[in-house]
Amino acid sequence: MSLRLQPVQVATGSNDAESQLVFEDGFLVAVLVHLSDEHEGDAGKWYLEAGFGRVDSPDPPKFADLNEAQAWINQRLS
Amino acid sequence: MFEDPFLRKFEFAGNLSEDERTALQLLTLTRRPVPARRDIAESETGDRVYLVMSGFACRYKTLSGGNRRIVSFVLPGDLCYMHDSGAFARDLRVGTLTQCSVVDIPRARLEELIGLHPGISRAIWWVTLRELSRAREWIVNDTRPADRRLAHILCELFVCLRGIGMADEHGFDLPVSQTDLADALGISAVHINRVVQALRTRGRISWSNDRVTIPDVQGLKAFAEFDPAYLCLDGFGP
Repeated sequence: MSLRLQPVQVATGSNDAESQLVFEDGFLVAVLVHLSDEHEGDAGKWYLEAGFGRVDSPDPPKFADLNEAQAWINQRLS
Repeated sequence: MFEDPFLRKFEFAGNLSEDERTALQLLTLTRRPVPARRDIAESETGDRVYLVMSGFACRYKTLSGGNRRIVSFVLPGDLCYMHDSGAFARDLRVGTLTQCSVVDIPRARLEELIGLHPGISRAIWWVTLRELSRAREWIVNDTRPADRRLAHILCELFVCLRGIGMADEHGFDLPVSQTDLADALGISAVHINRVVQALRTRGRISWSNDRVTIPDVQGLKAFAEFDPAYLCLDGFGP
């Protein structure tokens, strides 16, 4: 299953702005936000800001990099 | 003014007689320390009521996926498992957030005192109604945006801690983690961090070294739509 990423800025109301929209077959399935230095130990990780459908999670995960994030999203969609 | 937070809290329901005060004080003579991050209940039988005399704890439930939801904070002077003698309530646990000092009260002894002393009976009713009232307010609070929701919980802690002499006019010690607050608000660790930063940036609170300072208490209450009436601090009065 192939995902397509599209860089975007998200107005999170914090310093976390650099983000990626994640599409599967043209459908938006997730928004990943790059965590800023405000998050200390988690700074630099990618956070599931929003997941749609099967990617929705009550406990949104953080990922070390975009590859890990995409693997997790693919697993949820499969 | 009492040093004892348990008596201080009960007096919000109305005056206690000397006999009632003495009976309550005798209940609290034996205390045991409970380290941080432990459940305070020692038995599953429901034959005891637990009274927290110092430290911060919480009532919580953990979902099968491991997510914890804190449904209320437990502060000094608070009784726990008071109504949980039946199996119906065992799913809700009480855990310490900091080291606590806890009194184990035999349920039968508390029931005996309720039968003997109208002031204690009234206070137990007050505690019960207050818990229900607070639970309602927390449900409603979930509807507010996260920054106002956090502000509301901080206002509640401020007012409750003021009531037992543990807050001054501009703040209080809050030795719990951001994760604890996130679990009380039902938001993620990332989200709570942003919300705390937002309240800081706007000058509504500062939080460092386990101390929360509120520069403008009335302003924070207005922002949170906080009305302390649900905490029943005026007892049973009109």
